[in-house]
Amino acid sequence: MFRIPLLVALALSVAFGVGIASVVSALKATVGFGAIALGPWIAFPDAQTANADPYARAHRARAGKLLLGGAEGLQFTAAVDDGGAKLSSACAYDITGLTPPARFWTLYATNANDVALRSGPELPSAFNALTVLRKRDSSFVIHVSAEAQPDNWLAIRQTGPFKLVLTLLDTPTAGSSGVIDLTMPKIVRTGCDNA
Amino acid sequence: MRSVLFAIITGLVGAALLHIVIILALPQFTGKDAYTRVLGLYEMDSFFALGSEPGTTGLANDDPFLRVAVCGFSIDGGPARFQARGTVPFWSLSIYDANSNEVFSMNDQTSVNGNLDLVVATPIQLVELRKTPAESLAQSIMVEMPEQQEGYAILRAIAPTVSIEEAARSFLAESSCEPFRR
Repeated sequence: MFRIPLLVALALSVAFGVGIASVVSALKATVGFGAIALGPWIAFPDAQTANADPYARAHRARAGKLLLGGAEGLQFTAAVDDGGAKLSSACAYDITGLTPPARFWTLYATNANDVALRSGPELPSAFNALTVLRKRDSSFVIHVSAEAQPDNWLAIRQTGPFKLVLTLLDTPTAGSSGVIDLTMPKIVRTGCDNA
Repeated sequence: MRSVLFAIITGLVGAALLHIVIILALPQFTGKDAYTRVLGLYEMDSFFALGSEPGTTGLANDDPFLRVAVCGFSIDGGPARFQARGTVPFWSLSIYDANSNEVFSMNDQTSVNGNLDLVVATPIQLVELRKTPAESLAQSIMVEMPEQQEGYAILRAIAPTVSIEEAARSFLAESSCEPFRR
């Protein structure tokens, strides 16, 4: 007797449940189409423009971030290391190499929800093009770990997964067609606490 | 049994439709997009320097070396003019419309004499400005904002070391974002 209403209820609950869950997971998984990926680093040069796809528009309306304009710079985010494993505060990483040409760059860590990690004024929680210590060939090595390291140490004092954000200011990277040739710094895992 | 399967398939088709509808409609009703947050600061027509902790609107200096100021503006009644001068190693400005689409962006190397002097106007206002050029706008960059009358501007200045912090703060504090009148 209740077969038809039950079937209608089933169809509706599947529609709303799967529909809403797929939207939430799609917006969580990516900022949209049109990403440029250089190793683990991912950037979205068109996310702030009128050419952004519907997913990018929905994402930026939901995140409400103040995005960088095309002439301002380009923000790269890395959630995984060069081996493809997720960045975790239980492990230590080395960021080595050079950034693509830019007038200035900054590097800091965020948690999985894109909130910047601030470890307090007594710990180094961010680097920029002026403060990083370089080798003679102007390349750099930044040690990312919970424990203190010599030279460039980026302190991660929060447990769980994190992301690295590298912002290139006034860079030709966004408009360049030869994006693939650009080399980003490598993120190499050097060890884990509880392996 | 077959009718249960049919109900699930119908549900999945509905889910796909709903997915598309939600994605397309989301920008209109999130209430958390950047323009709504800028309006929530209640600071029209002046640059509001953000703090390092997110306030009630959730806007903050995300990047530890960038100092950010935002300004909501409207060119409904007349053009808007943005001005800033000072000595910071790098500054940049971007203009967004109410849908958070980029209208214009620039940095200190694309400016005149390193100072910010920019006028945003509708196409009709721009024609009037060009017809009778004002003396004070001789050095200004003119930007046309065709589709929308409201928007927000973001001004960023870098403070790579503590010693430049003061210069970056005063650069943002002395910047102006106001309706242009002759």
